[in-house]
Amino acid sequence: MKTILNQLRFDGKRLIFRNLSFFFFSILMPAGFYVLFTKVMMVTGSSTQQQQFAKTYMGSMIVYSILISAIFGIASILKRDRDQGLLVFLSLAPKGTLPYYISVFICILGINLGAVVVLGALAVFLNQVSLSANQWLNIFGLVILCQIPLLLIGTAMSFIKRQETLSVVSNLVTFPMAVVSGLWWPINMLPNWLQTIGKLTPTYFANNSLSHVLTNGKVDLMNVGGVLAWLGLGVALVILMAKRTARKGVVLDHG
Amino acid sequence: MTVIQATHLKFNYGSKQVLKDIDFTVEKGEIIGLIGENGAGKSTLLNILLGLLPAHGAATVLDQKPGTAFNKAHLGSMLQGDMRLSGITVLEMLQEAAAQYPKALDPQAILTEIGLQAQGNQRITSLSGGQLRRVTFGMALVGNPDLLFLDEPTAGMDAKARQDFWQHIETLRQQGKTMIITSHYLEEIQQIADRLLILQDGRFTFQGTLDELQAQHLETVISCRTELQPAIFKGLPAVTNVQQTGLLLKIHSTDGDLTLKALVPLLDQLHQISVTRKSLEDIFIQMTGK
Repeated sequence: MKTILNQLRFDGKRLIFRNLSFFFFSILMPAGFYVLFTKVMMVTGSSTQQQQFAKTYMGSMIVYSILISAIFGIASILKRDRDQGLLVFLSLAPKGTLPYYISVFICILGINLGAVVVLGALAVFLNQVSLSANQWLNIFGLVILCQIPLLLIGTAMSFIKRQETLSVVSNLVTFPMAVVSGLWWPINMLPNWLQTIGKLTPTYFANNSLSHVLTNGKVDLMNVGGVLAWLGLGVALVILMAKRTARKGVVLDHG
Repeated sequence: MTVIQATHLKFNYGSKQVLKDIDFTVEKGEIIGLIGENGAGKSTLLNILLGLLPAHGAATVLDQKPGTAFNKAHLGSMLQGDMRLSGITVLEMLQEAAAQYPKALDPQAILTEIGLQAQGNQRITSLSGGQLRRVTFGMALVGNPDLLFLDEPTAGMDAKARQDFWQHIETLRQQGKTMIITSHYLEEIQQIADRLLILQDGRFTFQGTLDELQAQHLETVISCRTELQPAIFKGLPAVTNVQQTGLLLKIHSTDGDLTLKALVPLLDQLHQISVTRKSLEDIFIQMTGK
């Protein structure tokens, strides 16, 4: 436990508190979108419909924040640390790399829970969204669960050899996934074939899970099942990429 | 006590055979100078001993297979390339390194040892290349290792920092630490190493002390200033080559004593005479042909 806390202190400083770009992309940008689409460019409809939109769009922006942190955040952190030699250094030390991975994941988790707090506060104070304590607890729980598959995808992407390739892949994964899974605008506005693809994405399952809690107060097991299936796929992907890298030798990744 | 033992060690990168059949041992407290051209396999060998690369053949480090938890706790390494992590100070980096080891030294003391006490609160990213190399050295030391692998430790350091570094190595020798050091500064390696391992084309072409190496490459160089013609010296006993640069003459001999005796009648026409044995660098260049 002490090892994890030491590692958290180290990673928290360099990745979060002394790296404000994280706040911008993972919290301020989704918060800005939320304000823009719920207060500035207001949707038409009855007040009930507007309330409903304010709730579900909060869920979408929470998932968008998770997506940004996972794909842009974790992939680039792990890639940079690997290129810098931090992972080789830790793998040569008695405590190994596990505390490092746990700590980086906790940092990202913290950022995402921070996004829930900020977006939740905006929803409550700007849009008078009202949720029960049980709903908030379910949202926090689901955020933790739903980000794991995305963190695993980000981890797998961090094994990409070249930084330039990683940037391209990150952009190609993040923004199309956000669009087709209905995070930016409702999925039923998309063509049918795109909806079919969108409904298979992890962000769709995550967004739908949150929407159910936000609108009905209940956890939808079908969507949670989809998240769990992606969790399995994420684990497989990480193992595959790690083995592929290990075959080439760990140190080959060190500059 | 044998600290490292390698037998028939081989390693390939794809179809390229980097290490061909390596046999060597390292005894406790020894400082080994591992030298070779770029791409000779020095770093690969260190990486195998650290457990980062799998190799064919047998290798034991501290009586264990490379990469065991016991090895990691007793081993410090300074690989090529330094970490330039953003958002972290020098002291925080050393504290992070210390937190990984069970019997770590005080990071503040290490900061003083590596001569960066004034930079302790400075961000790593603001350091010069040489200072960063010293941080990497500090990270290798902070775990209080018994065995150190130092791969090009002085790369990027200025002359003063290099001098301090080698003094530090001397202190570590007195503490009984075992070290394998690779460096392109051969004149520095020859001062500090107890034994040399010369790696050429994936094999050791020499293992032994500098004296033994020089004995195999007996040539002595007699330098002097003279107005006499070089041809006079070419016929002297044991002389293999005479080089002239202005008035400076370099007489290469396979038997320095014999050639010097033959020079006695000419002594009043020779000035500023010096006699040197071949340096490690001279021998290395001769061996590698570069």
